[in-house]
Amino acid sequence: MAMTPRSVGLGMAILATFATWTVLFLPGLTAPNTPSDIVRPLTPKERLGRVLYIKNGCIACHSQYVRPTDWDYSGLRVSQRGDYIYDRPHLLGSERTGPDLSQEGGQHTDDWQIAHFINPRYPRPASIMPRFSFLSPNEMDALVAYVQSLGGKMADQRMARQRHWHKLLVAAYHRGADYNASYLRSLVPPQWSTMPNPYPATQVAVAQGRFVYEQMCINCHGPLGDGNGPAAEWLDPKPFNFTLLKRHRWSGGLIYYQVMNGITGSAMPYFKEDLESAKIWDVANYVAVHFIGKNIDSGNDLNGIPVSRESAPPAEHEPYPGAKPHPVAPSPYPPPQPPLPPHPP
Amino acid sequence: MSHFRFLDDSPGSTARRFIISGAIWFFVATVVGLVAATELVAPDLVGARGLLFPRIRPVHVNTNVFGFLSMLLVGCILYAVCRLSRAPLYSEKLGNLAMWIWNFATLAGLITIPMGFTQSHEYAEYVFPIDVAIVVALVMLTYLVFRTLARRTEHLLYVTSWYAVGAFVATLIVYFLGNVMWHAKTGALTGMNDAEWSWFYAHNIFGTWITPLALGLSYFWIPRESDNPLYSHALSLLGFWPYFAFYLQVGTHHLIEAPAQPWLKLIAEINSVGLLIPVYAFLTNQWLTLRGRWWKVPDSVVLKFIFAGTVMYFFTSTEGSLEALPSFQRIAHFTNVTVGHAHLGLLGFSGFIACGAGYGVLREMYGEIWSERLAHLQYWLMLIGIGGFTFVLTAVGLLQGSAWRNGETVYRVLPEIFPFYIERAALGCFIVTGAAIQVYNYVRTAQAHRQRSERALYAVDDTAIALRREAEVAGD
Repeated sequence: MAMTPRSVGLGMAILATFATWTVLFLPGLTAPNTPSDIVRPLTPKERLGRVLYIKNGCIACHSQYVRPTDWDYSGLRVSQRGDYIYDRPHLLGSERTGPDLSQEGGQHTDDWQIAHFINPRYPRPASIMPRFSFLSPNEMDALVAYVQSLGGKMADQRMARQRHWHKLLVAAYHRGADYNASYLRSLVPPQWSTMPNPYPATQVAVAQGRFVYEQMCINCHGPLGDGNGPAAEWLDPKPFNFTLLKRHRWSGGLIYYQVMNGITGSAMPYFKEDLESAKIWDVANYVAVHFIGKNIDSGNDLNGIPVSRESAPPAEHEPYPGAKPHPVAPSPYPPPQPPLPPHPP
Repeated sequence: MSHFRFLDDSPGSTARRFIISGAIWFFVATVVGLVAATELVAPDLVGARGLLFPRIRPVHVNTNVFGFLSMLLVGCILYAVCRLSRAPLYSEKLGNLAMWIWNFATLAGLITIPMGFTQSHEYAEYVFPIDVAIVVALVMLTYLVFRTLARRTEHLLYVTSWYAVGAFVATLIVYFLGNVMWHAKTGALTGMNDAEWSWFYAHNIFGTWITPLALGLSYFWIPRESDNPLYSHALSLLGFWPYFAFYLQVGTHHLIEAPAQPWLKLIAEINSVGLLIPVYAFLTNQWLTLRGRWWKVPDSVVLKFIFAGTVMYFFTSTEGSLEALPSFQRIAHFTNVTVGHAHLGLLGFSGFIACGAGYGVLREMYGEIWSERLAHLQYWLMLIGIGGFTFVLTAVGLLQGSAWRNGETVYRVLPEIFPFYIERAALGCFIVTGAAIQVYNYVRTAQAHRQRSERALYAVDDTAIALRREAEVAGD
């Protein structure tokens, strides 16, 4: 065949017709378009939020699909074709400079989301996301509503839990700081709330805890641990003031449990995706030594917890200066009223 | 500029204006890219909503693709087509009109995307009116190419003209379908099907538009600059038809781990690997054309740019085919490996060829480049920039991918990639400087020798002898 403008143009048209039939029209015609078990249509407010999500180019950094190999916060469920049947345009994304948002709905409370949009470095000090403080309150509401809808019915379940606990936590917070501290303690299973920190508060451990605190905690709980970080302005209930624990019953396990699982209904998220176990214990040691001024660790009572570092030579074992064994005293405060609903599963 | 005419009809004005517009857009787009890269390390750098990273990232991408690459390559390819047909452009006025439409479309995109008007599909962010403008300009240019070829006095059609015809015809189809232009408001379908369509488009805006034009220019300039006939006609054919046949079907490899149709993913993977055949056929053909004339490469700034472009084409294509495989994608997907790949392909390969071809065309139009030394300096700045970019972004991408694969959260990895982002922004300065040199050099070349532009541009000339010889070998 001679290569002439006509033959090349015609050949190209034939190729393009074949290819578009195979990779465009055929998939559209044969694809199952059945909804998945978690998908639901968006409400009008959420749809407005989705428009803002598109306008502001969130897709440049956030993907919306979970692969079988993914961990992170969204790694709860591998995405299915049926999850997207209402999406137009699709927002799958191609880059993860920020985390995947497929299951973001209900992972954090609304006030956390607002603080995060006002300045992402409030709840997430190492974030490189730009600030979206220019959004009007209505726009902010809509965007938060959309983000909280991501994950469909799974997100709705998480949001229902967040709202349920949010009411109780706000009530407890406004009944006074000491009541709040006891209430929060009562939410932790007793085997955790009495467990001492299995790791000794060595200088190294406390320094590591400080590093993690500065990357994860500092802008809510503040550099002094008094709950007056810059994010506090946007949060309700406010971040916890650790110095209060000077006059309360507490243990390393209490802090560990709250950091690991978060406090559902408050802006305190769970960190078990971000932090390995030892790092959380280090944070607990840092908080204990620096903000509470006391330290309950394995030097006091091991309680049968396996301690991997106990065979280290004594020189590396030096307790942090000022760290003293602290006897666990009964709380002077009455148990919280009224009786509490059961734990979230 | 006393002779400035909006619709100029002097010979060569379309090509010249396309080329100089492309060079200007290159500078604009890289400056935007530098700002965006800086914002990744200093997120509070600017407070204005229109200048935030997520809003200017698509500006950087689209201005590069439609402003810089499209305009520079179209200008050069129109020149090459005329030269190879031994015929003047069918209508300089129509060409100029297309040039203005294209420029206004790019400018409109530059303004509207930061304002929040976007269709949210990668590389298809332009809203409907801009899409229409681009399609209109494309139709005009396609018409122009066909009419020019119809009036050719050289009977044989050289490879560059095949690529020109192929690119214009296929892109018209791809652009219209990929932008879902019958849905003016959203430019989108629904659900996963929308993703399959948009990635078909996103991959083919390179596969049928940018890359074929760059390949065609390489076919034009390498024999011409090295004074050697093209190595093999058979390899040209092998590099041409399979290239389009494979490329049109690879889009879904962007969705290997998304819930796209499984058989569609398989088609994409097979075609992605198959694409290596035409790519290597092209490269063999180009590099063997240089046989015995390698010493010409460092001396000629045109050949230098274009040869470097073909080398980077080797790397980016091989990497691209590997990235389509699930085993590699598990680490590379969603990471900066992809960003590095895109920069290597668009700036390293097609960008280098476009810049070199632009110098070549201006040199032939005006007798000499205003400053060869500046052009060589630009080459080295851009080479350091793109080489460093690819290295840094690939390294940081593999780091991200491995960390995520092993259970680190995205947030935890951010401090680890921070130093790489600083290096990347620093390397961007090299590229911006190169782009600035290019604008200056192009404009000065066109200005300094304006009076010489009157000479007959498209007369039969002896320097095309190498092409002629090849065309005879190629005889049908």
